[in-house]
Amino acid sequence: MKGILFLAWRYLAFNRWKTTILIAAITVIVFLPLALELVLERSSERLRARAEATPLLFGAPGSPLELALNSLYFSGESPAPLKFSTVGEIGDSALATAIPLHLGVKVGSQPVVGTSPDYFAFRELSVADGRLFAISGETVLGAAAATALGAGPGDGVVTAPETVFDVTGTYPIRLRVVGVLAPTGTPDDQAVFVDVRTAWIIGGIGHGHEDLADPQASGTVLKRDDANIVANAAVVQYREITPDNMADFHFHGATDAFPLSAVIAVPNDDKSGVLLEGRYQSADSPVLVVRPAEVMDELLATVFTVRQYVLAAVALVGIATLATIALVFMLSIRLRRAEIRTMTRIGAGPGRVAAILGAEIMLVLVASLLLAGLLTALAAAWGDELFRWLLLAQNR
Amino acid sequence: MSSKALIVGWATLLLGLAACQRADEDLSAGADTPLATEVVTVYAVNYPLAWIAERIGGDLVDVSLPVPDGVDPAHWQPSPETVLDYQQADLVLLNGAGYAGWIQFASLSPSRLVDTTRGLADRFVPAGEVTHSHGPGGEHDHADVATHTWLDPGLAAEQARAIAEAFGKLAPADEGEFQQRLQSLQADLAQLDQRFAAAFRDQPGAGVLYSHPVYQYLDAGYGLEGRSVTWEPFEDPGGAQWKKLADTLNQRPAAVMLWEAEPLPSTAERLRGMGIEPIVFTTGAARPAAGDYLTLMKQNLERLDRLKLADRETDN
Repeated sequence: MKGILFLAWRYLAFNRWKTTILIAAITVIVFLPLALELVLERSSERLRARAEATPLLFGAPGSPLELALNSLYFSGESPAPLKFSTVGEIGDSALATAIPLHLGVKVGSQPVVGTSPDYFAFRELSVADGRLFAISGETVLGAAAATALGAGPGDGVVTAPETVFDVTGTYPIRLRVVGVLAPTGTPDDQAVFVDVRTAWIIGGIGHGHEDLADPQASGTVLKRDDANIVANAAVVQYREITPDNMADFHFHGATDAFPLSAVIAVPNDDKSGVLLEGRYQSADSPVLVVRPAEVMDELLATVFTVRQYVLAAVALVGIATLATIALVFMLSIRLRRAEIRTMTRIGAGPGRVAAILGAEIMLVLVASLLLAGLLTALAAAWGDELFRWLLLAQNR
Repeated sequence: MSSKALIVGWATLLLGLAACQRADEDLSAGADTPLATEVVTVYAVNYPLAWIAERIGGDLVDVSLPVPDGVDPAHWQPSPETVLDYQQADLVLLNGAGYAGWIQFASLSPSRLVDTTRGLADRFVPAGEVTHSHGPGGEHDHADVATHTWLDPGLAAEQARAIAEAFGKLAPADEGEFQQRLQSLQADLAQLDQRFAAAFRDQPGAGVLYSHPVYQYLDAGYGLEGRSVTWEPFEDPGGAQWKKLADTLNQRPAAVMLWEAEPLPSTAERLRGMGIEPIVFTTGAARPAAGDYLTLMKQNLERLDRLKLADRETDN
């Protein structure tokens, strides 16, 4: 047996290019459907799990998919803004807990997520290092965001305006990192979390500058009387919210009218969820209510339909490839007539010759299966991340 | 070890693990049970709200007011660690009307905030307005309203109603008890209102002065039409302020000046020389060393009554 394997191995090693091509062809045919199935299954499980863990999403009327992708995975276009008053309305109903979300700004390539402390309890996020944000200007980083930004408690990170040519007055704000979250394997790992009021300040809705009512205020004051102070546009805006200058920050307008990307509603029970959803179901409702699980099911149903076509195509290609490989083996035996005759002359019976040829095929198959298994394992480890990236990239 | 002993050992271990799991399940189930059986943790931003919460909640609520002694809650700035304590509370009672500016920059979940003067904006008393303009944002204003709403017992009763309602939502099983205590509290506040009305109605003299602009709701509630200066009880007002006061009195005289704390003897003496009696009328914003909110208000009333008696004796 050892001799048979040795001869088969020596033949394959001698014809290394032919062997490599055969192994690669079989590996691809085995790996593709396996990996596709595995990655799709695991990725859809993760996507669905996050969607199912989010009972109700409130947003401005528009695309439910855009709302779900933005609010759950911090990806895609920012949906139309929703008024902050929705949080109060949901709270007043006593049917659910409302958690505000405001996105749209980034630190580097990490999304800034403005929310409330309830979000961390809702997503079961724990702080691995430091503490949660307590006052405006503080931030808590997701595990991957901390690594990407190279920042930890005590450091500062700077927000970037949405566009380079943003002339609407949204200045970069330096945020103080006070904590880093434990990794969860979810989009929360990528986020830069701030209080929703900090998100508004980053967005330019609130701002801080020296007290213009102070007689010692700088020369930017053009006119001053009992009820009105006029300053020129050169008033220095604060770039960081600190305990010292916090009192000089202020918001313009009524808080209830301030924008949110979405509101997560966590109903007290199933009945409360249905009642709450029902209140916003009319066609002229100013609020869009979606069940993220249903939205993601629709998206994944489309993906799974495409998967069926891909698997069918892979099966056809596989059959063609296997037929080609069989042909290669048969032609190879014909080309090796002289070699087989030599083996017979030196004493190898027909059974032994067949065993040697069979061992060659077996070694090629075993090597292909091992390689396909290794690649599938790699796909299992990294593939769902790749899939999620590919899926969400369409909405970036 | 015999095979029987091994089986018994494994069975014991499995049963033990199952029991542990059951205990964990029970604990997590306990976390989801209605709050009726749990004490509701409440944080307030000033003493009147804490007192109202204690009166309505009784032993069903655990009320905290972490403002250090001797610090005015209106101007207190909590540390981040204290804000984290507020985050953990089931409810955070806000006074509204712009009271406790730190709230604007504290990271607290909206679901836990109870703005006790929500819906009462039409009863707010204006406290001046400053408009400023700069840059592309143009003119914007920072309208202020007076903050010490509870000094009008009618408003305090409304704040109490909001607190009872919030307690009822959080612990529906105890709502009846909260409502019962609310009625008792509102009766006390109504009585206080009557006593305030009587005390100010019978007050001798032509007018009232306030040492600080914190009495607007008392003023509006009882039609006092008083005027305010900004004098600290522990400082001499200084020549310019005395002159300004004299000018004010020339326009309309006053007989009483309300102070949050006892003024300096020299200040009190000089005021008396001008025919103005200084009276301590504490707002009760901070937790008292002894007694409660009603005690503080009764002491205020007693001081007003003493002045009345002294005035009558002078007349006689």
